[in-house]
Amino acid sequence: MTGSQAPGLRAGTYLRLLGIFYRNSLLNEMEYRLKFWANVGLSLFWLVWAALSVRVYFRFTGTIAGWAYHEVLVVMGLFFTVNGIHQALITPNLARMTEYVQKGTLDYLLTKPVDSQFLVSLRHIGVHNWADPLLGLGLVGYGLARGGTAPDAGAVGLFAVLLAAATVLLYGVSLLLQTLTIWSVSSRGMDDVIEGLLETGRFPVSFYGGAVQGLLTAVVPVAFMTTFPAEALLGRAGWPVAVLAVTVSATIFLAASVFWRFALRSYTGAGS
Amino acid sequence: MTTRAVPRVYPALLRAAWGSAVAYRGQVVLWLLTSLFPLIMMAVWLSVVEEAGTAGGFDGPDFVSYYVAAAVTNHFTVAWVSWQWDEDIRTGGLSVKLLKPLDPFHHHAIEQLGKKLLIGAVLLPAVAAAAAVVSSIRYPVGPGTAAVAAVAVVAGFGLNLVMASAFSMLSFWSTQVHNLYQLWWGVGFFLSGWVAPLELFPPTLRRVAVLLPFRSSLGFPVEIVTGRLDGRAIAAGFAVTGAWSAGFLFVYRVLWRRGLRRYEAVGA
Repeated sequence: MTGSQAPGLRAGTYLRLLGIFYRNSLLNEMEYRLKFWANVGLSLFWLVWAALSVRVYFRFTGTIAGWAYHEVLVVMGLFFTVNGIHQALITPNLARMTEYVQKGTLDYLLTKPVDSQFLVSLRHIGVHNWADPLLGLGLVGYGLARGGTAPDAGAVGLFAVLLAAATVLLYGVSLLLQTLTIWSVSSRGMDDVIEGLLETGRFPVSFYGGAVQGLLTAVVPVAFMTTFPAEALLGRAGWPVAVLAVTVSATIFLAASVFWRFALRSYTGAGS
Repeated sequence: MTTRAVPRVYPALLRAAWGSAVAYRGQVVLWLLTSLFPLIMMAVWLSVVEEAGTAGGFDGPDFVSYYVAAAVTNHFTVAWVSWQWDEDIRTGGLSVKLLKPLDPFHHHAIEQLGKKLLIGAVLLPAVAAAAAVVSSIRYPVGPGTAAVAAVAVVAGFGLNLVMASAFSMLSFWSTQVHNLYQLWWGVGFFLSGWVAPLELFPPTLRRVAVLLPFRSSLGFPVEIVTGRLDGRAIAAGFAVTGAWSAGFLFVYRVLWRRGLRRYEAVGA
């Protein structure tokens, strides 16, 4: 089954569609107002709790692998940001993939005059943890203020590039896993794996040392998601890192898109 | 079914639970992978020790032994029954379970046991092999103390089961129980000995933590097997575990009876 290409639709159309999808999700969620605000409270609680727990480590030493407490807070803030993006953009779509394949909804999605990758990977948004990225950035700000150093414009620019690359990278990796569902039929457990790996981004990769640090940089690119953007803000990273990050995320993104199209060719549909 | 008949059906149900766990072994592999999480904490402590030499009397091998034992203990004590209770009560799946002659509690308990047996069959030999190869994994206790630690693990599992069940009973009245339990569990995550061995806490916090129910299912068995507790401390730990278990069991049974009356009223 092919038909994933949808000629004639421009980027503007896709943006308009996204606007409609997301407004819908938001309206849905706003029906449960109390729950909505309770979730914000919960997020805030987790953030403060996590920041306080790290203090236990610093009872015994001033720096861990060259990172002071306030610097670790910056990394942790970025972990909340990236994790929040994951839960808002990735999880809702990945969770539906099993149903798409098992019930044959995918057949129906493929007939729509919109790119299929766009539909399966961006159609839904979770408003549930919407505050996480904002609260995370708040913690980043707090960490920087605590350290008493304001990043200059160059550092902020570098940080923005790295954070954007991190988002694209996260999307690419998730799409790769989501695509596997076409063969494995169930996406259960896959999101747990992504979440477990992301969880390692709570701390700077150098905390893990040796082989694990290498693994988290080169194989599972968690370092690109929290450690490197934090280093940019702390003035420890240069443009070479940004170039590397953009290259890596662009490569993964393209690979995932190609893989999705390849998978569709072997997808026979639920009905036939 | 009378209480005396319950032990007789356990073996048969356990065989079924084992079969189901084996059938979905792919999921068990994933479960095993995600539970390597304590080793993250271990890695952080090893970095701390690298810089500070020792932390509160713990050196590198101490942390390795502590967290390996913690990973194993957690496997056996964790009881993910709250979401199942929650789903059963919300969607009405409970009605089917109520038709069976055995209290639903036992169904949940057995399903957990089946998974634990399967994971234990993989995990324990793996840890034994690792301990034989890696010299820093060391447990300086005799077989007697090790047996006490095993009893503590079972007691911790029991406490987790009744604690999760007691919370789940609130599902009869609210749909937000899962969030509440997660919050409770998140607090416990820090105070159970996950983030740090309780010995490394500030003294005041430590005194509070040993009185709370969280340590029973993680820090307590691990502290026994790493030889850090004397007889009196062990007895005190069991007393805390027993008291909380009795308390949660009582709350669970009371709420269960009240909730059931309410549930039937809704269904009819």
